Parts: sequence; C-alpha cells; structure tokens
Amino acid sequence: MTELERRLTQLGRELDWPETPELAGGVRARVEAAAERPGRAEGRRARRRLLPPAGLRRSLAIALVGLLVLAGGVFAAVPSVRDAVLEFFGLQGATIERRDELPAAPEFRPLRLGERTTLERARESLGFEPLVPSAAGRPDAVFVKREVSGGELTLAYRARAGLPEAGTTKLGLLVGEFRGDLHPQYLGKIVAETTSTERLRIDGARAVWIEGAPHLFFYRPPDSDFAEAELRFAQNVLLVERGDLLVRLEGAFGRERAIELTRSLR
Amino acid sequence: MRLHQTIAFRTAWVITRSAADAEEAAQDGFVKAHAALPRFREGSPFRPWLLAIVANEARNRVRGAGRRVRLAQRVAEERRPDDAVPSPEAALLDSEQRDELLAAIERLPQPAREAIACRYLLELSEEETAAALDCARGTVKSRLSRALERLRVELGEAEA
Repeated sequence: MTELERRLTQLGRELDWPETPELAGGVRARVEAAAERPGRAEGRRARRRLLPPAGLRRSLAIALVGLLVLAGGVFAAVPSVRDAVLEFFGLQGATIERRDELPAAPEFRPLRLGERTTLERARESLGFEPLVPSAAGRPDAVFVKREVSGGELTLAYRARAGLPEAGTTKLGLLVGEFRGDLHPQYLGKIVAETTSTERLRIDGARAVWIEGAPHLFFYRPPDSDFAEAELRFAQNVLLVERGDLLVRLEGAFGRERAIELTRSLR
Repeated sequence: MRLHQTIAFRTAWVITRSAADAEEAAQDGFVKAHAALPRFREGSPFRPWLLAIVANEARNRVRGAGRRVRLAQRVAEERRPDDAVPSPEAALLDSEQRDELLAAIERLPQPAREAIACRYLLELSEEETAAALDCARGTVKSRLSRALERLRVELGEAEA
C-alpha cells in the first residue's frame, strides 16, 4: 500500500459517517408485507416459505379445535379438552387459553402486518379512529390489513430508550388495533402454565397483561383455514379494550410501562 | 443482517450522499436480496452480492447533484486514529492535509470518486468495489490507478 492509499484509508476511518439506522425491523415488516400481497410470484414464493411445517400445523389444529369447542360452549362435553386447558378467559376480540403444554412453534416468524401505509392514509381507510401511544411518539412504520372488516392497524416502533428490543419481533413496540366488537375471537393466545397472566382495569377499561415465558399468538382471519393461521411466539403483551377497539401492545417492556403507553393512547 | 447493515448503508450513502436515500436504498436492497436468496449461488461470497443489490438501489435514487452532501462536510474533527492529543500545530497541519485530500477527491470525476470511496474510505475489497459499482474488477483497477495518479498530481505529489 502506498502512502497515499494509507492516507485515504485513514481518512475513511476518521470520516463522520452518518449514523447507520436500524434497518432490521423495517426490512422484516416489508418482507412480510411482500409475502402477503397475493398474485405476485415473489409473494407466493415467500408465503410458501412462511407456512409452518406440517407437524406444527397439526399441533395448531389441535389447539384450535380446543378453542372452537370452548367458544361453542361445549367445554364439559369434551374431557380431553377440559384436561388440557387449565384456564380460559377473554376480552372483546381476544381469547386467552392457558395450557399445561404449548404446541411447538418456531422461535421467530416474520410478522404479517399487512400493507405498509401512512397514519394519514390509514385514518381514511379504517373503520375506526386509530389510536397512537403519544408516550412512544410517531410510529416508524404503519401497516393496515384490509381483509379484516373494519381493518386492522399495526404501528411498529424501533427499539429505543424506554422501548427495549423484543426478541420475538426485533422491535421496541408493536401496537395492533382492530374492531373487537366485529371479531369477538379474532385474536387468540395460548399461554403455558408458567406464563403470568393478570386481569387489569386501566382507567375502567378491561385489560389483560401477559408476561414471562413467551406465549403463542395467532390471528383467525374470517373464513380462513385455521390450520394455516399465523402462529408465533410473542413476548410481554398488554391487551386492552378501548370502546369498540381491542388494542394489543407487544414488547420487552414491563407492566408499568405498558400501562403508561396505554394511558397515552390518543 | 446487522452484520452487513453498516457497510450496506455507507455504500448507499457514498452513492446517494443523502442519509434518507441511503436508508431507503439499503432497506430496499435487503428486501430484494431476501426475495432473491433462492437465486444466490451457494458458496459464492455473500457481501459483494448484497452490496451490488444495495448499490443498484442507491443509483436509482440519485436525483440531481444539488442534494449531495460533500464528503468534506462530514469529517469528524475531533476524531483521531489513536488517543494521542496532538499539538495545536500538528492538529492544524493534519486538518489542512485532510481537507486538501477531501477536496481533491471531490474534484475527481464521479466514477473515479466512487471507486476511491468504496475501495479506500469504506475499505471494500476489489471484488466488493466492482460489485458495488457494477463493473469488472479490471475496470476498478484502472479507475483506481488513474484516480490515484490524479490525486497525486492535485496534491503536488506526482513523481517527476
């Protein structure tokens, strides 16, 4: 290396490069959004890759049969389900089931958040007024799923001070919102015996705080094949009813921070 | 992905000279790389392949020269390669030489400037530089050779 080349290399090391932004969350969300768009070869290929393996689909089907039975009010008639399910309760839009054993699921699955948009455009297209946690500021990315009636909004926040990165989403905060009154059991959770689940009232609103061991989380889109519904591990989650809405906050933060974020929803 | 995001972002920045464009380009590059993974030849080096995709996204975003930030505006005055505190005279001399070198790089034609930035400022290999600039390794070599010669002339260091 000549003296000039050495000086150039040194110059590169002294250059004040612009700070590298955190790209992983946005990339993951967009990969997921691409996988969701039907009709595109790329998306179809990605969707095929995202499907859980057959063994997992079987486990999921078994778990969902349990939920269907519970929803149908025939719990007592099916002893095997009664044995497996230790606790069952729900909010408007969500059901939570405690089991002695969780079905197998991959540690990390790409998030299926829908189509990327802006908060302004989401406001025009949703069947409800979006709520934003002002304590977290403006979201880094906004997604809308339109196949759900009323729409489903997701706000994604990168990890930052007060919003540590969650191992399950690689984000600081994920906020989901949909009309719980239109989808009484749209969102499902299966928690293990070791997961802490606490019923709360936040300013009068019913809420559930799920903390501790990661738990399984899935959506049941209307008219979809349950066996191919999304199933992934989630970290700490606060579910809260706000009027007709069910709001879901997921992250690595604690209970008090989750309540603070919920109280800042505007 | 975190392993490569800094080099991907900086490569995009060298081309766009805009942090916002570089972020978009790097993000788009990663998304396209993910979609193209089935076409990635196993056993080939990953980084040149990724940088080629990111750099292509960056080139698609270069719109007009007016928005570009000059390299010279981004020198960290306070940074030194070691922790030694230079004398004021040495610091001034260092700073002048650095400014002179940066100004000379800025005066290079774009292909030569990008080759110098990728190969030396970013310390990419020749193969990675070729991938980022979408040209053959031989082209990188000849661009670098000419660019170095021109810099020596500009800096008054050319051999008689």
